[in-house]
Amino acid sequence: MSALGHYLEEEGIATVAISLIRPQTENTKPPRALWVPFELGRPFGPPNDPVFQKRVILTALRLLERESGPVIIEDFPDDDPRAQPDPAWHPPFVPAAAADGSAETLATQLEVEIPLLRGAHDLWLSQHGRTTVGLNALPMADCGRYVADWVRGKAPPSPRDGFSAPLMLRFAVDDVKAYYLEAGAAGAGKPSSQQLGDWFWNETAAGAAIHALRETCLATQDERLKLIAGNFMVPAARVRGTG
Amino acid sequence: MTRLTTLPPAQAERLAALECPNFETTPWVTGPALSRRRVAIVSSAGLVVRGENPFRGRDPDYRAIPADTKADELLVSHISINFDRTGFQEDWNVVFPLDRLNELAADGVIGSVAQTHYSFMGATDPVQMEPYARALAGHLKHDQVDAAILSPV
Repeated sequence: MSALGHYLEEEGIATVAISLIRPQTENTKPPRALWVPFELGRPFGPPNDPVFQKRVILTALRLLERESGPVIIEDFPDDDPRAQPDPAWHPPFVPAAAADGSAETLATQLEVEIPLLRGAHDLWLSQHGRTTVGLNALPMADCGRYVADWVRGKAPPSPRDGFSAPLMLRFAVDDVKAYYLEAGAAGAGKPSSQQLGDWFWNETAAGAAIHALRETCLATQDERLKLIAGNFMVPAARVRGTG
Repeated sequence: MTRLTTLPPAQAERLAALECPNFETTPWVTGPALSRRRVAIVSSAGLVVRGENPFRGRDPDYRAIPADTKADELLVSHISINFDRTGFQEDWNVVFPLDRLNELAADGVIGSVAQTHYSFMGATDPVQMEPYARALAGHLKHDQVDAAILSPV
């Protein structure tokens, strides 16, 4: 991000960068940056907190009025209040994950589980008026079936012209995760990302199926599939054995 | 509450040590007071308008996001899965603070908001992005933009 600031500024556009990883910003030396102590993925802080978000943006934009520089790297002083867990939050009900853990069982359980979350996801839609599901462009049931068939080792063809099957698998996995995390956050609670991630990866059939899918793909001879499955399905912090 | 110390050690080490371009110059563009600036968002979240071409892997180019894009039309196609997406799911301003910029413009704190905003995919090597970033500056100038807020994930 700081490198983009350098290029744009050289071309005559004044920039201010939000910095999430301070050492990177210190190395790149952008014209102006505001480091924020927030979780990766939340450069402007807590969702649905316009007052807090506006403080972050204004603190950054005010750096444009400084007369001394470059380089300016300032620190935003306050933590994200939504990073704290909500003890009152409860995820939607899903049956316990299969004990035997076989690929066929996990795939079937994923297909059964998705419709069980429909009510929670409909509630999410009514609360927020939007969804971030849609990279794969398949309806969620079909998206789940596509992932499930990969879990079964079928390697189904790409459902979309111009997009490879491994890429569509990555998008389908992203969509399944988005659907579940939106459904999980529906209702009155304000769960932290850690709470939602713990639920998805530890308690749902989808989480178990994606873990299994990663292992299945890593065992193939398809280098592209191995690259995608190894790096872009299960977050590094959730890969089993790395805690 | 999340700093590098709260990430898994291997991820924190990799992020902190990530190779960054070593620039020989330190550019610096001045401008009018904030209340007269026209502001654009340039994100590196791999944002794409629904139905348009998502980022595939480490594409070095950018996607345009018109200012009249609705929150329901914006998706994240970033290749990395090691950052939180639930904040963006709940409120796009966490990553793409267009509503906040519009409010600041309505209050006269900033001059105006750009007609078009942009997103790169931040896992791409910045050196590969350079020609696209330089071309983007031309589009921003054409839109009279004189301030860009750069938003990572």
